[in-house]
Amino acid sequence: MKHGAGSKTLPWVVLVLAVAAYLGWAAAPASALYTRFLTPSRLLALAALLKLVYLLGATGWAFACRDRLEVDNPARPAWFLLSLGLLSTFAGQLSLAPSQVVRAETPFPSMADIFFVLGYPFLIAALLVLLHAYRDAGFPIGSLAERVGIIVGVGVIAIVVATPILRPVASVGGPLLDRVLTVAYPILDLALLLPLALLLRAALRLRGSHAGEVWFLLLGGFVFLCAGDACFAYFQSLGKEHLDPYVHATFLLSYGLIAGGAHRQLELLKS
Amino acid sequence: MTTSEAVEVMAKVLAPYIGDTMARSATAAHCQKLGITAGPVSHEQLEALLGKLRGGLNIFLGRDKSASVVAEARRALAPREGAR
Repeated sequence: MKHGAGSKTLPWVVLVLAVAAYLGWAAAPASALYTRFLTPSRLLALAALLKLVYLLGATGWAFACRDRLEVDNPARPAWFLLSLGLLSTFAGQLSLAPSQVVRAETPFPSMADIFFVLGYPFLIAALLVLLHAYRDAGFPIGSLAERVGIIVGVGVIAIVVATPILRPVASVGGPLLDRVLTVAYPILDLALLLPLALLLRAALRLRGSHAGEVWFLLLGGFVFLCAGDACFAYFQSLGKEHLDPYVHATFLLSYGLIAGGAHRQLELLKS
Repeated sequence: MTTSEAVEVMAKVLAPYIGDTMARSATAAHCQKLGITAGPVSHEQLEALLGKLRGGLNIFLGRDKSASVVAEARRALAPREGAR
Protein backbone atom coordinates (compact mmCIF):
# COMPACT_ATOMS: atom_id res chain seq x y z
CA MET A 1 0.00 0.00 0.00
CA LYS A 2 1.40 3.38 -1.02
CA HIS A 3 1.05 6.46 1.13
CA GLY A 4 1.87 10.03 0.23
CA ALA A 5 4.63 11.81 2.12
CA GLY A 6 1.99 14.11 3.62
CA SER A 7 -0.08 11.30 5.12
CA LYS A 8 3.10 9.84 6.62
CA THR A 9 4.31 13.05 8.21
CA LEU A 10 0.95 14.43 9.37
CA PRO A 11 0.64 12.18 12.47
CA TRP A 12 4.18 13.16 13.51
CA VAL A 13 3.43 16.85 12.99
CA VAL A 14 0.28 16.47 15.15
CA LEU A 15 2.31 14.70 17.85
CA VAL A 16 5.06 17.34 17.85
CA LEU A 17 2.52 20.18 17.96
CA ALA A 18 0.59 18.50 20.79
CA VAL A 19 3.72 17.92 22.85
CA ALA A 20 4.85 21.49 22.16
CA ALA A 21 1.43 22.76 23.34
CA TYR A 22 1.73 20.88 26.66
CA LEU A 23 5.32 21.97 27.19
CA GLY A 24 4.23 25.53 26.43
CA TRP A 25 1.51 25.15 29.05
CA ALA A 26 4.15 24.09 31.55
CA ALA A 27 6.40 27.02 30.64
CA ALA A 28 3.80 29.81 30.48
CA PRO A 29 0.53 28.73 32.14
CA ALA A 30 -0.52 32.34 32.76
CA SER A 31 -0.14 33.44 29.14
CA ALA A 32 -3.22 34.47 27.15
CA LEU A 33 -2.92 31.38 24.97
CA TYR A 34 -3.42 29.13 27.98
CA THR A 35 -5.94 31.24 29.90
CA ARG A 36 -8.22 32.14 26.96
CA PHE A 37 -7.87 29.51 24.26
CA LEU A 38 -6.06 26.38 25.37
CA THR A 39 -7.58 26.34 28.84
CA PRO A 40 -6.70 23.47 31.22
CA SER A 41 -10.09 21.82 30.65
CA ARG A 42 -9.66 21.95 26.86
CA LEU A 43 -6.10 20.66 27.11
CA LEU A 44 -7.27 17.78 29.32
CA ALA A 45 -10.00 16.86 26.81
CA LEU A 46 -7.58 17.15 23.89
CA ALA A 47 -5.02 14.93 25.64
CA ALA A 48 -7.73 12.34 26.39
CA LEU A 49 -8.82 12.20 22.75
CA LEU A 50 -5.29 12.11 21.32
CA LYS A 51 -4.27 9.35 23.73
CA LEU A 52 -7.29 7.31 22.65
CA VAL A 53 -6.45 7.77 18.97
CA TYR A 54 -2.79 6.78 19.43
CA LEU A 55 -3.65 3.80 21.65
CA LEU A 56 -6.32 2.56 19.27
CA GLY A 57 -3.91 2.86 16.34
CA ALA A 58 -1.10 1.16 18.29
CA THR A 59 -3.41 -1.71 19.37
CA GLY A 60 -4.76 -2.26 15.88
CA TRP A 61 -1.36 -2.11 14.16
CA ALA A 62 0.28 -4.38 16.75
CA PHE A 63 -2.50 -6.92 16.25
CA ALA A 64 -2.18 -6.60 12.47
CA CYS A 65 1.56 -7.35 12.82
CA ARG A 66 0.69 -10.48 14.79
CA ASP A 67 -1.80 -11.41 12.11
CA ARG A 68 0.72 -10.86 9.34
CA LEU A 69 3.40 -13.09 10.89
CA GLU A 70 3.30 -16.85 10.35
CA VAL A 71 1.91 -19.12 13.09
CA ASP A 72 5.38 -20.49 13.92
CA ASN A 73 7.12 -17.09 13.84
CA PRO A 74 8.65 -16.52 17.31
CA ALA A 75 7.83 -12.79 17.13
CA ARG A 76 4.10 -13.43 16.63
CA PRO A 77 3.27 -14.06 20.33
CA ALA A 78 5.21 -10.91 21.25
CA TRP A 79 3.09 -8.74 18.94
CA PHE A 80 -0.05 -10.40 20.30
CA LEU A 81 0.98 -9.71 23.90
CA LEU A 82 1.88 -6.15 22.94
CA SER A 83 -1.55 -5.66 21.35
CA LEU A 84 -3.24 -7.02 24.51
CA GLY A 85 -1.20 -4.70 26.74
CA LEU A 86 -2.08 -1.73 24.53
CA LEU A 87 -5.73 -2.77 24.38
CA SER A 88 -5.87 -2.86 28.17
CA THR A 89 -4.26 0.59 28.32
CA PHE A 90 -6.76 1.83 25.72
CA ALA A 91 -9.64 0.44 27.83
CA GLY A 92 -8.26 2.31 30.84
CA GLN A 93 -7.99 5.55 28.88
CA LEU A 94 -11.47 5.02 27.42
CA SER A 95 -13.01 4.66 30.88
CA LEU A 96 -11.28 7.89 31.97
CA ALA A 97 -12.26 9.86 28.88
CA PRO A 98 -15.87 10.78 29.82
CA SER A 99 -14.72 12.38 33.09
CA GLN A 100 -11.82 14.14 31.41
CA VAL A 101 -13.78 15.42 28.42
CA VAL A 102 -17.10 16.29 30.10
CA ARG A 103 -16.16 17.19 33.67
CA ALA A 104 -12.50 18.14 33.11
CA GLU A 105 -11.31 15.90 35.92
CA THR A 106 -9.28 12.73 36.25
CA PRO A 107 -10.68 10.47 38.98
CA PHE A 108 -8.09 8.48 40.93
CA PRO A 109 -8.28 5.65 41.73
CA SER A 110 -10.88 4.48 39.27
CA MET A 111 -11.86 1.58 37.03
CA ALA A 112 -9.21 2.85 34.62
CA ASP A 113 -6.42 1.84 36.99
CA ILE A 114 -7.49 -1.81 36.82
CA PHE A 115 -6.96 -1.72 33.05
CA PHE A 116 -3.73 0.28 33.25
CA VAL A 117 -2.23 -2.13 35.81
CA LEU A 118 -3.48 -5.17 33.85
CA GLY A 119 -1.68 -3.90 30.76
CA TYR A 120 1.79 -4.10 32.32
CA PRO A 121 2.15 -7.92 32.57
CA PHE A 122 1.30 -8.14 28.87
CA LEU A 123 3.79 -5.42 27.92
CA ILE A 124 6.54 -6.95 30.07
CA ALA A 125 5.79 -10.43 28.68
CA ALA A 126 5.90 -9.05 25.11
CA LEU A 127 9.42 -7.67 25.65
CA LEU A 128 10.58 -10.93 27.28
CA VAL A 129 9.21 -13.02 24.39
CA LEU A 130 10.99 -10.75 21.91
CA LEU A 131 14.27 -11.09 23.79
CA HIS A 132 13.84 -14.86 23.73
CA ALA A 133 13.07 -14.78 19.99
CA TYR A 134 16.16 -12.65 19.27
CA ARG A 135 18.39 -15.03 21.17
CA ASP A 136 16.91 -18.14 19.53
CA ALA A 137 17.29 -16.58 16.08
CA GLY A 138 21.01 -16.15 16.73
CA PHE A 139 21.05 -12.38 17.13
CA PRO A 140 23.63 -11.27 19.66
CA ILE A 141 21.96 -10.03 22.85
CA GLY A 142 25.16 -10.14 24.90
CA SER A 143 26.83 -12.77 27.03
CA LEU A 144 25.19 -13.90 30.27
CA ALA A 145 27.62 -11.72 32.22
CA GLU A 146 26.79 -8.69 30.06
CA ARG A 147 23.06 -9.26 30.49
CA VAL A 148 23.36 -9.68 34.24
CA GLY A 149 25.52 -6.55 34.33
CA ILE A 150 22.90 -4.53 32.41
CA ILE A 151 20.05 -5.79 34.59
CA VAL A 152 21.93 -5.10 37.83
CA GLY A 153 23.09 -1.70 36.54
CA VAL A 154 19.63 -0.59 35.43
CA GLY A 155 18.09 -2.00 38.62
CA VAL A 156 20.53 -0.11 40.85
CA ILE A 157 20.16 3.16 38.89
CA ALA A 158 16.35 2.81 38.88
CA ILE A 159 16.26 2.16 42.64
CA VAL A 160 18.64 5.07 43.33
CA VAL A 161 16.51 7.37 41.15
CA ALA A 162 13.13 5.98 42.19
CA THR A 163 13.65 5.85 45.96
CA PRO A 164 13.77 9.62 46.52
CA ILE A 165 10.83 9.97 44.13
CA LEU A 166 8.71 7.26 45.74
CA ARG A 167 9.51 7.97 49.40
CA PRO A 168 7.48 11.19 49.64
CA VAL A 169 4.77 9.66 47.47
CA ALA A 170 4.47 6.59 49.72
CA SER A 171 4.66 8.50 52.99
CA VAL A 172 1.97 11.05 52.14
CA GLY A 173 -1.42 10.53 53.76
CA GLY A 174 -4.56 9.43 51.97
CA PRO A 175 -6.44 6.21 51.28
CA LEU A 176 -4.31 3.06 51.12
CA LEU A 177 -5.50 2.16 47.60
CA ASP A 178 -4.37 5.58 46.29
CA ARG A 179 -0.92 5.15 47.77
CA VAL A 180 -0.57 1.52 46.65
CA LEU A 181 -1.52 2.40 43.08
CA THR A 182 0.69 5.47 42.94
CA VAL A 183 3.71 3.43 44.01
CA ALA A 184 2.67 0.39 41.93
CA TYR A 185 3.03 2.22 38.61
CA PRO A 186 6.71 3.14 39.02
CA ILE A 187 7.45 -0.37 40.36
CA LEU A 188 5.78 -1.93 37.31
CA ASP A 189 7.81 0.48 35.20
CA LEU A 190 10.97 -0.81 36.87
CA ALA A 191 9.96 -4.36 35.88
CA LEU A 192 9.39 -3.06 32.34
CA LEU A 193 12.74 -1.27 32.27
CA LEU A 194 14.80 -4.43 32.79
CA PRO A 195 13.90 -6.28 29.56
CA LEU A 196 13.70 -2.87 27.89
CA ALA A 197 17.36 -2.18 28.69
CA LEU A 198 18.40 -5.52 27.18
CA LEU A 199 16.34 -4.86 24.06
CA LEU A 200 17.74 -1.34 23.74
CA ARG A 201 21.23 -2.82 23.71
CA ALA A 202 20.20 -5.13 20.85
CA ALA A 203 18.35 -2.31 19.09
CA LEU A 204 21.51 -0.17 19.03
CA ARG A 205 22.97 -2.70 16.60
CA LEU A 206 19.94 -2.21 14.34
CA ARG A 207 20.52 1.53 13.92
CA GLY A 208 20.24 2.89 10.42
CA SER A 209 17.89 0.11 9.30
CA HIS A 210 14.16 -0.47 8.82
CA ALA A 211 14.01 -2.78 11.87
CA GLY A 212 16.04 -0.25 13.85
CA GLU A 213 13.48 2.46 13.11
CA VAL A 214 10.69 0.21 14.41
CA TRP A 215 12.54 -0.63 17.60
CA PHE A 216 13.77 2.87 18.42
CA LEU A 217 10.17 4.10 18.13
CA LEU A 218 8.74 1.29 20.24
CA LEU A 219 11.42 1.32 22.91
CA GLY A 220 11.40 5.13 23.02
CA GLY A 221 7.66 4.90 23.65
CA PHE A 222 8.22 2.58 26.60
CA VAL A 223 10.89 4.88 28.05
CA PHE A 224 8.40 7.80 27.96
CA LEU A 225 5.75 5.55 29.52
CA CYS A 226 8.06 5.05 32.52
CA ALA A 227 8.77 8.80 32.65
CA GLY A 228 5.04 9.56 32.47
CA ASP A 229 4.28 7.26 35.40
CA ALA A 230 7.00 8.91 37.51
CA CYS A 231 5.52 12.37 36.74
CA PHE A 232 2.04 11.06 37.50
CA ALA A 233 3.13 9.64 40.88
CA TYR A 234 4.39 13.08 41.95
CA PHE A 235 1.47 14.97 40.44
CA GLN A 236 -1.18 12.71 41.94
CA SER A 237 0.22 12.18 45.43
CA LEU A 238 1.86 15.47 46.18
CA GLY A 239 -0.57 17.71 44.36
CA LYS A 240 2.22 19.17 42.23
CA GLU A 241 -0.09 20.55 39.58
CA HIS A 242 2.71 22.15 37.61
CA LEU A 243 3.66 18.58 36.57
CA ASP A 244 0.29 17.98 34.87
CA PRO A 245 1.45 19.22 31.44
CA TYR A 246 4.49 16.93 31.65
CA VAL A 247 2.22 13.97 32.49
CA HIS A 248 0.24 14.59 29.30
CA ALA A 249 3.31 15.34 27.16
CA THR A 250 5.14 12.17 28.22
CA PHE A 251 2.10 9.89 27.80
CA LEU A 252 1.30 11.41 24.41
CA LEU A 253 4.88 10.88 23.31
CA SER A 254 4.80 7.34 24.67
CA TYR A 255 1.59 6.31 22.92
CA GLY A 256 2.49 8.20 19.74
CA LEU A 257 5.92 6.58 19.45
CA ILE A 258 4.54 3.09 20.17
CA ALA A 259 1.81 3.62 17.56
CA GLY A 260 4.46 4.85 15.09
CA GLY A 261 6.65 1.82 15.75
CA ALA A 262 3.79 -0.65 15.31
CA HIS A 263 2.71 1.10 12.11
CA ARG A 264 6.27 1.07 10.74
CA GLN A 265 6.57 -2.66 11.54
CA LEU A 266 3.32 -3.35 9.70
CA GLU A 267 4.59 -1.42 6.67
CA LEU A 268 7.77 -3.48 6.78
CA LEU A 269 5.81 -6.73 6.88
CA LYS A 270 3.64 -5.57 3.97
CA SER A 271 6.56 -4.36 1.83
CA MET B 1 35.29 -17.09 -2.16
CA THR B 2 36.55 -16.58 1.39
CA THR B 3 34.40 -16.33 4.52
CA SER B 4 35.23 -12.65 4.97
CA GLU B 5 34.21 -11.87 1.37
CA ALA B 6 30.92 -13.75 1.88
CA VAL B 7 30.25 -11.90 5.15
CA GLU B 8 30.94 -8.60 3.37
CA VAL B 9 28.47 -9.37 0.57
CA MET B 10 25.77 -10.62 2.97
CA ALA B 11 26.18 -7.66 5.31
CA LYS B 12 25.74 -5.27 2.38
CA VAL B 13 22.45 -6.93 1.40
CA LEU B 14 21.12 -7.25 4.97
CA ALA B 15 22.19 -3.81 6.23
CA PRO B 16 19.12 -1.85 5.02
CA TYR B 17 16.86 -4.25 6.92
CA ILE B 18 18.73 -4.94 10.17
CA GLY B 19 21.63 -2.48 10.10
CA ASP B 20 25.29 -2.98 9.21
CA THR B 21 26.37 -3.76 12.78
CA MET B 22 23.68 -6.37 13.39
CA ALA B 23 24.17 -7.88 9.92
CA ARG B 24 27.89 -8.37 10.52
CA SER B 25 27.58 -9.60 14.09
CA ALA B 26 24.72 -12.00 13.29
CA THR B 27 26.55 -13.38 10.24
CA ALA B 28 29.76 -13.81 12.24
CA ALA B 29 27.86 -15.51 15.09
CA HIS B 30 26.19 -17.96 12.69
CA CYS B 31 29.55 -18.67 10.99
CA GLN B 32 30.98 -19.56 14.37
CA LYS B 33 28.02 -21.84 15.23
CA LEU B 34 28.22 -23.57 11.85
CA GLY B 35 31.97 -24.08 12.18
CA ILE B 36 32.72 -21.85 9.17
CA THR B 37 36.24 -20.59 9.70
CA ALA B 38 38.37 -18.04 7.86
CA GLY B 39 39.47 -19.11 4.41
CA PRO B 40 37.54 -20.60 1.50
CA VAL B 41 33.84 -21.26 2.07
CA SER B 42 31.88 -23.98 0.25
CA HIS B 43 28.50 -23.64 -1.48
CA GLU B 44 26.93 -25.92 1.16
CA GLN B 45 28.32 -23.76 3.96
CA LEU B 46 26.95 -20.63 2.28
CA GLU B 47 23.52 -22.23 1.95
CA ALA B 48 23.56 -23.26 5.62
CA LEU B 49 24.54 -19.73 6.58
CA LEU B 50 21.80 -18.18 4.44
CA GLY B 51 19.29 -20.58 6.01
CA LYS B 52 20.26 -19.42 9.50
CA LEU B 53 20.10 -15.76 8.50
CA ARG B 54 16.69 -16.29 6.96
CA GLY B 55 15.40 -17.73 10.25
CA GLY B 56 16.62 -14.63 12.06
CA LEU B 57 15.23 -12.20 9.52
CA ASN B 58 11.80 -13.85 9.92
CA ILE B 59 11.43 -12.10 13.27
CA PHE B 60 11.72 -8.65 11.74
CA LEU B 61 10.42 -9.14 8.21
CA GLY B 62 8.15 -12.18 8.16
CA ARG B 63 8.73 -15.28 6.06
CA ASP B 64 8.04 -13.93 2.56
CA LYS B 65 10.15 -10.80 2.84
CA SER B 66 12.97 -12.78 4.51
CA ALA B 67 12.93 -15.22 1.63
CA SER B 68 13.22 -12.39 -0.89
CA VAL B 69 16.11 -10.78 1.03
CA VAL B 70 17.94 -14.11 1.23
CA ALA B 71 17.34 -14.61 -2.49
CA GLU B 72 18.87 -11.17 -3.05
CA ALA B 73 21.91 -12.21 -0.99
CA ARG B 74 22.18 -15.43 -2.98
CA ARG B 75 22.15 -13.47 -6.23
CA ALA B 76 24.83 -11.13 -4.90
CA LEU B 77 27.00 -14.07 -3.88
CA ALA B 78 26.58 -16.02 -7.14
CA PRO B 79 29.12 -14.12 -9.33
CA ARG B 80 31.77 -14.41 -6.64
CA GLU B 81 31.08 -18.12 -6.17
CA GLY B 82 31.46 -18.63 -9.90
CA ALA B 83 34.76 -16.76 -9.85
CA ARG B 84 36.35 -19.29 -7.46
